[in-house]
Amino acid sequence: MSEILERRRFLKGVGACSLLMAPLGCTSVKEESDGAYKPHYVMVFDQNKCVGCGDCKGACNKANDLPEGVSKVLLEQQSGRVEGEPCPHCGKMECGCERKFVRVSCQQCKNAPCVAVCPTGAAHKDPKTGVVTMDDSKCAGCKYCIGACPYNARFINANTDVADNCDFCLENKLSKGELPACVQACRYDALVFGDANDPNSFVSRLLAVKDSVRIKAHMGTEPSLRYIPIVKLGV
Amino acid sequence: MDGTIEFTMGLSEGYAWPWPIAVYLFFAGISGGALTLALCLRFFKGQTENTPFLKAASLVSLVTIALGMICLVFDLTNPLFFWKMLVFYNLNSVMSIGVIALSAYIPLVALVALFALEEEVRAIKQLQFLVPVLDALRKFRSPAEKLTLVLALSVCAYTGFLISALIRFPLINTSVLPALFVASGLSAGGAAAKMLAVGMFKEDLHSSEMKLLHGAEWPIMFFEALFIFMIAISLMTGNAGAQYAFSAFVEGTWATLFWVGVVGIGFGGPLLLNFATGKTFSHSAQAFYMSGVCALSGMMCLRMFVLYAGQYYAI
Repeated sequence: MSEILERRRFLKGVGACSLLMAPLGCTSVKEESDGAYKPHYVMVFDQNKCVGCGDCKGACNKANDLPEGVSKVLLEQQSGRVEGEPCPHCGKMECGCERKFVRVSCQQCKNAPCVAVCPTGAAHKDPKTGVVTMDDSKCAGCKYCIGACPYNARFINANTDVADNCDFCLENKLSKGELPACVQACRYDALVFGDANDPNSFVSRLLAVKDSVRIKAHMGTEPSLRYIPIVKLGV
Repeated sequence: MDGTIEFTMGLSEGYAWPWPIAVYLFFAGISGGALTLALCLRFFKGQTENTPFLKAASLVSLVTIALGMICLVFDLTNPLFFWKMLVFYNLNSVMSIGVIALSAYIPLVALVALFALEEEVRAIKQLQFLVPVLDALRKFRSPAEKLTLVLALSVCAYTGFLISALIRFPLINTSVLPALFVASGLSAGGAAAKMLAVGMFKEDLHSSEMKLLHGAEWPIMFFEALFIFMIAISLMTGNAGAQYAFSAFVEGTWATLFWVGVVGIGFGGPLLLNFATGKTFSHSAQAFYMSGVCALSGMMCLRMFVLYAGQYYAI
């Protein structure tokens, strides 16, 4: 008799437990299957190939309908020369002959300070592509994001009066399956754009064989722009 | 090649946050500081009457926070965009939390001021329409004052947290800044409210309450100086970016503003007026007002220094 009762209680317990566990199991499965494929768009700037022609700036201005002379990307010319010594290329004491440029633009941080500080959610990550972009209709123009950006890569767009950043031409090009305007315009292959989460993409294979660096990586912002710097050759 | 690759250009022009933000930080600090002192006195001394200091503090608080809001709105690229701040929220953003705090704080300050200035409101014909409001809300006075005290301190600290979130600027991006802004808000808010209490609400210069406030001035000033010292030392002994930002204290226009405005006028002024002069002068009304104006100017210089020198010495 007691044995039957025990068995009955045991079966009841099993039923109750399975009822309890079933929904829990479902939620955990759901979480796993929720992880739909998400790209990680990166841009690689090869300093060895850039000649500083500025075509990227012009293309940016046109593609994003920016005011005359404005673009979301700048080129900073640098020099590797030693102070007080003649230029190793041309031998002059003062020159600007060295083709050493750095792309200055939004670094598309994974952990973006501008997104964190924006009080209205205007600076946000596009849910589909993960690209940091702007919802102009929400921006109040408080400039908190401009101060927060460790790269000083954000600005007020004079056409719209709101903050703006390079978003890889998300609306005008990327969403139509095109490459960002600057990448299309670059004649020297100094800019490579693609999905780093896809192991077969050109950019993934490039990053696998080339040493690339990120700017101010110690800030913990996890930038998506990679730079292949010019290194001195020979010993 | 030092490091790997770097750039020094930027896409934004000038200072992201110019002087109207410094003025806003100044006003918000005074508003929170004045009311914190007055409400603390009211609770700890168990006051039930409307003291001249409470009247002055609540009036100062209401006026300064209103002026501060004007500065804030006019610093937006387009002041007409202000409504977006009130409609869209991002709870990760210090500014958004501040908007929530301020939208509770401002009406509460108005209410506290209304109770504190009841006599004056009843005496002015144009304000008679407020009397029924006053009568209807009277039972909420005590809870409203308690909540206002919490919010007043929060607003003071918020002005510090707001800018200390900017990681590009080592002078600004310090954990001590909110504490410094609370301390300087208390000293400047106290000075502004004391002057108004004596000048407008006929408080005796040497009443027991005034004596207490005069006494509190020095420890608050000590902590203010201590916090500034802590920031300077942490920058001096910090990494390359911090060391660069430390030069704000020793060279250039902003160092002059700091040593003359913050240290000379803000700290030196009140100290000299009170301790380096004869007893008759240091207890006179002139010394009292001059000392108050010094405290206020020092605080304004401090906000200008932190904001401008901070943004100038970016990493």
